[in-house]
Amino acid sequence: MNRIFAQCLKEIVQFRRDRLTLALAFLLPFLTLMIFGGAIRLESKNISLIVQDFDQTNLSRGYIEILYNTNQFVPQKWIGTQPARDAIDQGFAKAAVIIPPQFSRDIQAGRTTNIQVLVDATDVNNARVIKGSIEQVTNFFMQQQGLIPANNTITAQMRLWFNPGRLESLYIVPGTYAVVFWIFPSLLAAIAMVREKDKGTILQVYTSSISASELLLGKGLAYLIIAIGEVLLVMGLGTIIFQVGLVSNPVILIFGTLLFLINSVLFGLLIGVRTGTQDAAVQAVSLVGFTTSLLLSGFIYPLNNIPFPLSLVPNIIPARYYVDITRAVFVRGAGWEAVWWDFLMLIFLGLIYFNISRRVLSRMQLPN
Amino acid sequence: MKFIWRLFDHPFWALVRKEISQILRNKQLIVLLIIPPTMQLLLYGSALNPDVHNLRLGVIDYANVSASRELVSAMTANQVFNLVSVPTSEKALSHEVEVGKLDAGVIIPPDFARKLDQNTAEVQVFIDAVDANTAGIASNYLNQIFQQYNITLATSNVILPISTQVIFLYNPGLISSWFFVPGVMGLVITLIGTIASAVTVVKEKDTGTLEQLLMTPSENWQILLAKILPLVFLLMGDVLFALTLAITIFHVPFRGNFFLFLILSSMYVFVTISLGIMLATLCRSQQQVLLTSFFINLPLVQTSGAIAPIEAMPTFFQYLSYCNPLRHYITIIRGILLKGEGLAALWTPTLILASFATVLLTISINRFRRQLS
Repeated sequence: MNRIFAQCLKEIVQFRRDRLTLALAFLLPFLTLMIFGGAIRLESKNISLIVQDFDQTNLSRGYIEILYNTNQFVPQKWIGTQPARDAIDQGFAKAAVIIPPQFSRDIQAGRTTNIQVLVDATDVNNARVIKGSIEQVTNFFMQQQGLIPANNTITAQMRLWFNPGRLESLYIVPGTYAVVFWIFPSLLAAIAMVREKDKGTILQVYTSSISASELLLGKGLAYLIIAIGEVLLVMGLGTIIFQVGLVSNPVILIFGTLLFLINSVLFGLLIGVRTGTQDAAVQAVSLVGFTTSLLLSGFIYPLNNIPFPLSLVPNIIPARYYVDITRAVFVRGAGWEAVWWDFLMLIFLGLIYFNISRRVLSRMQLPN
Repeated sequence: MKFIWRLFDHPFWALVRKEISQILRNKQLIVLLIIPPTMQLLLYGSALNPDVHNLRLGVIDYANVSASRELVSAMTANQVFNLVSVPTSEKALSHEVEVGKLDAGVIIPPDFARKLDQNTAEVQVFIDAVDANTAGIASNYLNQIFQQYNITLATSNVILPISTQVIFLYNPGLISSWFFVPGVMGLVITLIGTIASAVTVVKEKDTGTLEQLLMTPSENWQILLAKILPLVFLLMGDVLFALTLAITIFHVPFRGNFFLFLILSSMYVFVTISLGIMLATLCRSQQQVLLTSFFINLPLVQTSGAIAPIEAMPTFFQYLSYCNPLRHYITIIRGILLKGEGLAALWTPTLILASFATVLLTISINRFRRQLS
């Protein structure tokens, strides 16, 4: 036990001396929080839209008015007769609505009239959003004009749970915590572990009486303490800046975060044990860490959209479980019954990481 | 012939040869050029998918009449919602949404049939809106379905007076990888370009061989140019490699001019190399380079629109992204690949990219030369 604490103390002393790593440990997580939490949004606001009205009647103008009243679109001026396609080709507008010349005549005669909508589908997600909004507008217009029955036989009382204002920050910021607390604690731990090998001091460790588990636990404890410091900083500022507050049992958050940090540090140590140089360790952590926590954790898009063989991988990604936990405590307000599985999996994965690193380290060490 | 040989006799080419053989011997660099781009392209291209489909729906149908059953089947007809659960109580239903087992719940009240005759039937719908984006699209779908169903109830004539024909340009099948893969091509070149160039420069500093290079009769700019040239070729190789992956695996279309793509890509390669050299002048060791590269690459990638569209960002970040060369490069790649745009449509990002390349290259060369003397 004493040896573990001695190792831990040595690590912290070493850590404090290196100014670059210090900056890396606290400045970078904060920067990541600001950029990920601040910049990543999925739904476009203020979509630039042009309307070509070949009808020019009160009816068509009424339609256009409703279109712009949705506050989703920003009107763009486009010279009357030029093909609307050009505006989208040139990136001048994201969408174009073309009202045909016979628009009002057709409606008055009871014939179906076609409104053509061109959408720049480069960004697939927002192409879908634009389509939905314009169809919604058309429906509303038809009801308003009495073209379809105005009072619905069936009304859907729709409620959006947990996030009635559909604030994207509530979705992105808790996910960002998972990315930040996955990358940086593991990066520091990996560097610390591999540094011993790089500098050759690992040989001294091998000849000393400290065992592989003690070495891992000592180093792990040191970086767990540092990681807790990171959490306090990042979550504190995140709560203040992005107004994402705790809505559930704080005990879940505290234990979940601790478990996740342990996983993250152990993952870092594992990478440190497996790689030979500091550069390789940094590369491995950033490549594996970012791709898994960004892409396979459900941070950006729903997990069940991942195609089959790849969809098995998130099951062994700790960040995926931590995203569940942070969204449960920061947005859903759910209790233990929603997260117990995530806790079990985090414990299980942590044990696996620890055992692999211990085995690799013991194999290198001379038997006593 | 002799003239050409004389041209290559210049000591400058000896330097280039030295750099090339050094790079070829550096196995780590070769691995860096191949493994991360492959992994990133494959993962980003297949894991990121904004589709809204197979949302899990739970329904309590207290009415259980043919109209209510029809309504439920209308909701689940087009794969957006899948009926996965039929709980017995409202409490059970809301609990399943709370713990994340369901994405949406529908409650059809017992008096549904009676109210339907009076045209005042109400149905309760709730959607898990933690994922604001998906919830928005899903609620739009549901509204549409209800609208449609109301019309079929009200009139025998199902043909709508106005139909909106939506045409999706450039990506009619809404294949999500077509959006992400060109973005990730830019991302990959950025990450590798900055790190590879910084590492090759800082290595000489680290091992102290830079002083030896200075003793040779070569000029400073020759030393630097000899370092840059092989890197440009390697990185252009990476660009083509990424493009091949994009086309063969993800079937991303290439609708524009290939030479324009090559020229503009090489311009961006110069930008990343200059960023790398700048990074190297700030650092003393390879490890410092790798760690400080986070400070540059992270904001560069995340404000570029590679993953999350720029139009969706808050205004502040939208303006910030104009100062990001990667943003302009990604605009160019998406323009050439998906839209088949030429220089006429792309001249703004091209001009900005060119100025970035010139300014950054000048600054980094100057910094490097100052450090040498």
